[in-house]
Amino acid sequence: MLPRWITAAYLAFLAAPIVLLVVGSFGALWLNTLLPTGVTARWYAEVATDPSFRRAFLSSLAVAAATCLTCLVIGLPFAYAIFRAESPRMRALARVLYQLPVALPALVLAFGFILAFSSDALPLLGSIWLLIAGHVVLCMPYFLQTVVADMQRLNLHTLEQAAESLGSSGLERFFHIVTPSLRHSILSGLIVVAALSIGEFQFSNLVAGFLNRTYPIVLLQAFYGATGFACAATVILLLLALTASIAGALSAGSRARFLVPAH
Amino acid sequence: MTDAVRLDNVHFRYPGARAGVAAIDLTIAPGELLVCIGPSGCGKTTLLKLIAGFLTPDSGRIFLDGADVTSGTTRERGCGVVFQSYALFPTMNVWENVAYPLRVRSVPPRARRERAEAMLAVVGLDGFAERAPFELSGGQQQRVALARALVFEPKALLLDEPLSALDAATRLTMREEIRRVQQLRNIATLLITHDQDEALSLADRVAVMRDGRLQQVAAPQHLYDKPVDGFVATFVGRANLIKAVVAGPEAVDTPLGRLIVPRHDRPVGTRLDLLIRPERIDTATTAPSLPNTFDVRIARDAFHGASRQVEVALGAGSLHIETITRSAIERVRIPPEAVQFLPLH
Repeated sequence: MLPRWITAAYLAFLAAPIVLLVVGSFGALWLNTLLPTGVTARWYAEVATDPSFRRAFLSSLAVAAATCLTCLVIGLPFAYAIFRAESPRMRALARVLYQLPVALPALVLAFGFILAFSSDALPLLGSIWLLIAGHVVLCMPYFLQTVVADMQRLNLHTLEQAAESLGSSGLERFFHIVTPSLRHSILSGLIVVAALSIGEFQFSNLVAGFLNRTYPIVLLQAFYGATGFACAATVILLLLALTASIAGALSAGSRARFLVPAH
Repeated sequence: MTDAVRLDNVHFRYPGARAGVAAIDLTIAPGELLVCIGPSGCGKTTLLKLIAGFLTPDSGRIFLDGADVTSGTTRERGCGVVFQSYALFPTMNVWENVAYPLRVRSVPPRARRERAEAMLAVVGLDGFAERAPFELSGGQQQRVALARALVFEPKALLLDEPLSALDAATRLTMREEIRRVQQLRNIATLLITHDQDEALSLADRVAVMRDGRLQQVAAPQHLYDKPVDGFVATFVGRANLIKAVVAGPEAVDTPLGRLIVPRHDRPVGTRLDLLIRPERIDTATTAPSLPNTFDVRIARDAFHGASRQVEVALGAGSLHIETITRSAIERVRIPPEAVQFLPLH
């Protein structure tokens, strides 16, 4: 009985803020009461027409897409190189290096970027490219982890040896065997990257220029204004993140089905 | 006739490890099935990788159809390899897997599919072309792997423990299947295994490996009847290995007692090992007057259905006996002609 209550209490604790946000986003007036009064869709319309929110929303999408693309283009060969490294020591070292950004607070990275790129030599601070570069650094470990783990699980090395013995060249192997075999983990890795990039605040808040502020940064400012407006804006972010994780779950599900052997 | 596969004094050591192979001289004739057998870590898979080109020898030369391929890549060598884990491509269905070697050889799609399906028919998988690999049983996956390794008419077929992941019943069927297809295509084949039964029943010749070296290469019967040493004798079939000292031209002293043996010319006092195959020991009640007849006490007695494995205590030693008799064993006779001399190792 007790575990059930604990579970219920935990779920309530987890869901309450989200439920309140959704309720708040449709509430006409919310001042010092437990629940808002009146029902309206006005706040969503306001968020949708607010130029700074529109710009931030598009900025976020652009940064997330560019981060995904960069992670794919750089990360896939990188993961492959780590996987294929002959010496186990090299593999261990590479793993420590690429996991480092996970341990590194985004704040530290942001200060580093500010120092490095506000100089006259590299005056890049405020450009969207710098923002993307930072997101790539922060998201890459998660992408690599997903893909490298899948390479090991699939026993990719043997698959490649088989292909090689059947007459397949290095490039043919990469496009016929490696990439298709990894399609599920590449997809789920990219979904994690997209979700992280969309929600990233610490780094973006310090490094983004005024014109390419991402959604979470603009969102923070919304909380100084009308509560309903802030709630609606947050719900939109929540929906974005939810879409990403549902897509992730679906891709993981299809992979699980793919793995179950039939007898 | 040119050998399909020839290895001349091949040496290989894994970097930073002592494992590897040394002084390998080996040939496989066209159409021959050579089974390489040995305990795990003896280098038999290394041998296969050297022939396939996954590894390059430190010294020595490798020839395929008479051409020196020592420095050639795996791709240039064109050996059909079947892996223990099958290594079917998970993103391709059965016929696409089989057709893959043709695809990278730029065979037109129609011809590819036709040849793949013809090959699938050879391995008994008609109608499976559109299935995904994970929908197949282990034995079926192994058949696909075999078809894929043969469809491009490779110079040699290399099988790395192809049956070890299968259950006992499937293993027997697949064993015969591999032999049938191999003979049908008349292709030089190297099969790696640690199963002596598989080796003896399948092979034209068996190569026994130990610690990276070839111990003996011979036809199965020859290997069983005339092993070069105690290791081969115990690894291929069951064996009683008995320490002995020559006591005369027809007698040796052993922990079992004095044995009468076939006439030989080794000087008295020579130490050697004797080999007595368990099934050669006579358990029928015999007259105590015949030579090498001993009263024994049974130490262990295991019924295996078709045979019965008995261990008897005799003198200061013991003997393994394989027999079909169901009656009590009180006395055994070791026929002198069943005793073989092996060099002391």
